[in-house]
Amino acid sequence: MATPIIEAEGLGVRFVRNRRRQLRIREMFIHRGGRQPNPGEFWPLRDVNFAINPGDAIGIIGRNGTGKSTLLRLIAGVLIPDEGKITVRGRVAPLLELSAGFSNDLTGRENVHLVGSLHGLSSNFLKKTFDEIVDFAGDQVSKAIDTPVRHYSSGMKVRLGFSVIAQLSHPILLVDEVMAVGDAEFRKKCYATIERLLAEGRTLVLVSHNEGDLTRFCNRGLYFNAGKLMTDGSVQDALDAYNAVVRA
Amino acid sequence: MTSSVMTLWENRNALGLLVRRDLAVKYQQSLLGYLWSLIEPLGVAAIYWFVFGVLYGTGSDRHLGDANNSYPLFLITGIFAWSWANAAMGEATSALTGQARLITTMKVARQVFPIGRVLGRFAEFLAGLPILIILAIVFGELHFDWQLLALPLAVLLQTVFLTGLALLLSSLNVLLRDVEKLMRLGLRVLFYATPIIYPLAMVQNANMPGWAKDVYELNPLVGIMELYHAIWYPEMFPSATLLGITVGISVALLVGGWWVFRRLEPAVLKEL
Repeated sequence: MATPIIEAEGLGVRFVRNRRRQLRIREMFIHRGGRQPNPGEFWPLRDVNFAINPGDAIGIIGRNGTGKSTLLRLIAGVLIPDEGKITVRGRVAPLLELSAGFSNDLTGRENVHLVGSLHGLSSNFLKKTFDEIVDFAGDQVSKAIDTPVRHYSSGMKVRLGFSVIAQLSHPILLVDEVMAVGDAEFRKKCYATIERLLAEGRTLVLVSHNEGDLTRFCNRGLYFNAGKLMTDGSVQDALDAYNAVVRA
Repeated sequence: MTSSVMTLWENRNALGLLVRRDLAVKYQQSLLGYLWSLIEPLGVAAIYWFVFGVLYGTGSDRHLGDANNSYPLFLITGIFAWSWANAAMGEATSALTGQARLITTMKVARQVFPIGRVLGRFAEFLAGLPILIILAIVFGELHFDWQLLALPLAVLLQTVFLTGLALLLSSLNVLLRDVEKLMRLGLRVLFYATPIIYPLAMVQNANMPGWAKDVYELNPLVGIMELYHAIWYPEMFPSATLLGITVGISVALLVGGWWVFRRLEPAVLKEL
């Protein structure tokens, strides 16, 4: 069997509600032996174990606030766990907040180059695929490509962001509800792209509440509740477990 | 520590991109472009020249030494170096808080954000160098001599000092937003605690207790500023003790700042 591309062992993250800042700083520097449990402390994720193989398409299911997005941030490497560890073997293309990397004062063109390069695309590759990226984002965007992103609608930013990230050759795709934004036409394009990327053998981790999307793409489902991994099985198993709780 | 230095090196492209982006954003929409980075320090220098060069200028007890006849050059050299320090420290403080959305979605070594601010402002400092050279020629203080080596040494030390402070301030500011407010006062104090508008000799000859003078020299910017002055006035080259203190404290700040940044990183990422 292949080595897992994403592996979580006893993974846990602790957040602190209403923490008092000064106190916290002092704690950082002075290690006390037994830490007293803080009443505001909670674990959005704890004791999570799973292994994802290359080429898998994983659907993450759970109610709001059960640590789904936190898990994606851990996989993306933009959050550091407090317990256990997460191993990610390969680069990650995050389709999380698609417009996040854009600088509002730069034009669409400059932003494509900036965000693309920050994600590791070479400038030659970007020059070659630039037209393709802009075409994919649609008419509205290609007309406005030389105006500052500040004047774009939020839908336009998301489209442009998706177009750039769709060009990445990274083996792992993280998708968090991007399909919920954008109109029907763009959604269709997104579906086609994700299917193409899956066919290339990429690994997908998808967070969604849409059963249609989940059953369409995923071959495995993880159901989370209150920060714990409850079900790890087929998408249907996970959805059943989720529905049993939600509809009860 | 070494592994995090390695990751920073692997992220040098991202660092360059962010610096270029900051500069592009800053100068794109202004008509005068990069000239603005010169106009402001020159304006400030003109004010100090008027007050301390013209109004308070009595010549004999200004302790300017070699710089007695070229006070504007002395002043502008200091102000240019100070502008870099001032802007870098100010902007680095908000480097993480101001780019939270980028940091929470993209995996790059987080150190690039504060360090980028230091380097971006260094680019502006470089843009001002031709002005300094022209002034030095006008005042006849440009000597092609070993003393020119004081410039790279000063730049190196200032980079070390600023990088350490930037790492420290940016990460602390996420957890304690008061840092940003304190910085405004802190920077003003630091400006007057550095020999920019007055020469160091004036402090050394001032009527104050010896320990106060020692404390004064603990500010690494004192030694760094004297190195800048030494480019034109070799007699101002810092003494071995002062240079040692400057190097020691700058390096300690870099190591300490790096350590604090690494230590606070998990908490910073949760807080952003």
